[in-house]
Amino acid sequence: MEPNPASTGVTPPGEQPGVCEAAPKPPSPIALLTRTQYDNTVEDLLGDTTRPSTTFPAENQVEGFRNNVYAHQASPLLVEMFQGAAESIAARAVSTRLDTLAPCAAGADAVACGRSFVRSFGMRAFRRPLLDDEAQIFDGLFERSLANEGYAGAVELVLTAMLQSPQFLYRIDSIGTPTPETGAVAFGPYEMASRLSYFLTGSMPDAELFEAAAANRLATDEEIETQARRLIATPRARQMVREFHHQWLRLDNLPALMRTASELGAGSTELGRDWLASLDAFVDHVYWEAGNASALFTSKRVYVTPRLAVLYETSASANGLTAVELPDRAGLITQPALLALLAHPDQSAPVLRGVFVRERLMCLPVPPPPPTVNNMPPDPDPNATTRERFRVHTESDECRACHQLIDGVGFGLEAYDQLGRYRSEENGLPVDVSGEVFGTGDPELDGVYSGAGELAARLAGSRRVADCIATSWYQYAVGRTPAEADACSLAQVTAAFERSKGDLRELLVAVTLTDGFRYRAPLPEEAP
Amino acid sequence: MNRRRRHLVRERMTRRDLLLGASGLAVALPLLPSLTARAQDVAAPKRLVLMYTPNGVVPDAWKPTNVTSETSFELGPTHRELAPFKDRLIFFSGVDLAIALSAGPGGLHQRGIGGLFTGRELQDGTQFVDGCGQRAGWANGISVDQEVARHIGQETLLPSLELGVHALDNDVQGRIAYAGPGQPLPPMNDPLSVYDRLFLSVRGDDSASDRLKRRRASVLDAVKDQFTALESRLGSADREKLDAHLTLVRDMERRLAVSGLPEGCPVPEQPPALDPASEEAMPLIADLEIDLLAIAFACDLTRVASFQISTSLNRVRYPWLNSMGEGHLLSHAGPSNESSRAELMARDAWHSGRLARLLQRLSEIPEGDGTALDNTLVLWGNEVAVGNTHAHTDMPFLLAGGTWSFRTGRALTYSSASHNDLLVSVLNAMGVPATTFGNPDVCTGPLSGLV
Repeated sequence: MEPNPASTGVTPPGEQPGVCEAAPKPPSPIALLTRTQYDNTVEDLLGDTTRPSTTFPAENQVEGFRNNVYAHQASPLLVEMFQGAAESIAARAVSTRLDTLAPCAAGADAVACGRSFVRSFGMRAFRRPLLDDEAQIFDGLFERSLANEGYAGAVELVLTAMLQSPQFLYRIDSIGTPTPETGAVAFGPYEMASRLSYFLTGSMPDAELFEAAAANRLATDEEIETQARRLIATPRARQMVREFHHQWLRLDNLPALMRTASELGAGSTELGRDWLASLDAFVDHVYWEAGNASALFTSKRVYVTPRLAVLYETSASANGLTAVELPDRAGLITQPALLALLAHPDQSAPVLRGVFVRERLMCLPVPPPPPTVNNMPPDPDPNATTRERFRVHTESDECRACHQLIDGVGFGLEAYDQLGRYRSEENGLPVDVSGEVFGTGDPELDGVYSGAGELAARLAGSRRVADCIATSWYQYAVGRTPAEADACSLAQVTAAFERSKGDLRELLVAVTLTDGFRYRAPLPEEAP
Repeated sequence: MNRRRRHLVRERMTRRDLLLGASGLAVALPLLPSLTARAQDVAAPKRLVLMYTPNGVVPDAWKPTNVTSETSFELGPTHRELAPFKDRLIFFSGVDLAIALSAGPGGLHQRGIGGLFTGRELQDGTQFVDGCGQRAGWANGISVDQEVARHIGQETLLPSLELGVHALDNDVQGRIAYAGPGQPLPPMNDPLSVYDRLFLSVRGDDSASDRLKRRRASVLDAVKDQFTALESRLGSADREKLDAHLTLVRDMERRLAVSGLPEGCPVPEQPPALDPASEEAMPLIADLEIDLLAIAFACDLTRVASFQISTSLNRVRYPWLNSMGEGHLLSHAGPSNESSRAELMARDAWHSGRLARLLQRLSEIPEGDGTALDNTLVLWGNEVAVGNTHAHTDMPFLLAGGTWSFRTGRALTYSSASHNDLLVSVLNAMGVPATTFGNPDVCTGPLSGLV
């Protein structure tokens, strides 16, 4: 089959037809399931909702992403945890639902029942039909176990082995048919089913995807698009979108964040989980109610728990989250969770905030400070604003080189303190929220501005920021930091995002239609 | 409160009070009497612990004072709790982290922590951007604990045990142990998981344990065959990755032959469930892990361990010390900032106290004519010397134990020695006949004057 990047209009305007077609394709290495993917998969495969991965070691991260195919790898600890989890999952499955898992009528031949279980259940566990030698390995285990363990015990052992087999633990995209004449290998139908399901739902393919794969209906853009749209509408897609934001925005430390707030009484309060729930709800709102990137930057919506309502001087129902519109808010960068995360316990952190906006939202890494600089934030001063205390950054040439990139972004958020509360004064002095975005190469971004609202409007209107969002989604979808061979795919996805005028769900669809999602480089062994 | 009085108080408290630490003081899992009795009868193996604490130290409080000769010195204020073990320590002056001094990828914390126990530079990479915009990959080699585990870790339940206390950054600045180039090993931050890993598979009566082993052996046979079946269909890069995984499966299979919990090693009481992300829980987590490690050594469940308190570039507060600065930022304070300096010294002293606790626990386990401490070597290191300079010269290394090989109770002075040499000495002390370790360009052989 020919790679066909030019269909459904994802070709960037002005791009020569065939340019992407001829370009080299990126590799698609095997990918170990992340903890979230493991838990979701076990739930969908067996109805086991125990989330067994809570004791697994955390994935090695790259730029916040936990699903990097190079960094996330087996370790002695993880392999042991896989063993323990497989044993308890299998024991639970056999003790509670053997009849549906591996039905065997009274008087039926146990060996035949076992073979049927291996093939039918194995197909879902491996996310493709078992090859003959694979099935025979499990047949052998089943038959050897039958005498000592009985039928249920033999099923349990086969299940335990399946859950530790690499075909279950890894997503494997490279058992395809090479098409050397184009230098690209199209993913096979079952591979495509797993690519779609793990990207859009963080789990194994559902029944409909398996059907489509079995009928070889995942080969054209139209077929893939149909499935992508269907998956995006499932509840799991909401979980996946939240998960993406946890990684992209690097929220790892948010749940455990403890802060002191006089409004909430003496001592520290564990507010992190409230903030995380609040941000999750905001992401839900942006993706599933508003649906557009402009809402990500301009929505005044904030979700508050009863405790957060006290902090942000609004009202909330007694339980759960309440949606409120706060006039002093402007989208993501003014979400209380981020403002609190990007702060020190006793003061706001314009540098952390500025670096965050540049690195995460503009995809512009900031150079490091010189090693010997004292970059401890100056102690709070009752007679000065935070901004005034950071004046040194712009007074010294050495500091200014980088801090002109950072501080002018962070200062625009000075109207929010370390708890994300709005303030017009700090220590009785008026807060100066003027700022300047500098050196981004995007005329929509660069220049002086005043306050979070104007900064957010710049972000909303910026091609660089839109490209950064699209690139981050692509990075998440392929589980790699984009490299040279991804250039065409990035051009496809950023162009599609622009053409849809920032439609976030269309962005997810567009990712599934890129070259990098549909094709891989041939292995050296496959080269002509 | 002196130790005798604290001991008396302890006896009057309930177990629950102890574990919850009524005054924030973490208290031990008891080393059971039968365990200590057992330990006396067994020929003792040698053990290695690597300890790591982040963001540099306050040198003038850390370094020995009144040094008049190698053996005549006083402990700096940081190490007061180590006083009972002074004759088992070796302090170093003039040992550099040479591997991090040369230009290479990564920021100073990253290069430091990556090279600390591997003696290797970081891999080139466009992958990681830490908080400071530095791009680098993982460390480019095996760490010294894993090299030792390859030699002496094969007979025990676990070849090695990686422990962490709030070591929750999962990128290059958060990893100290490496199975090989680009293969960082994650630490366990939850004592309950450590407990389960050490004792869950080996408890129960013999017939149950035999049945579990038999079942595991059949399952792992099939799993290995699946690896083989799959590998034949993959390209070489993927095959390599699966091979590494398969090796770990084979290790598990091999360890099925390791007899479970030895005679006289009853399963200790289960530690409480704690939140590894909680700063408040750090002291209790640290002490429970230290106690579990001592029991694991005493019962010969492992012989190699690393113990990592937090990560470089962290933002961790130490509320139980009333140190509310955020770790990395706090460490950037210059020496004239009195309050920050006091916080940093308090943290250094608490870190040193954890080492003291470990040595104390080991010294309570009779072994042969002495104690488990006589058969244990601890190397404590940090990824930078001083937080506000990020220097990689004159690093705050501390050796404890290893008395079968090293002449201890000394403060040694070198002139720009490379710490790779120190790592070679550690290997040699652990019975590994190496002449070089890490990058050979910065290694000349074992560090002189230790043995």
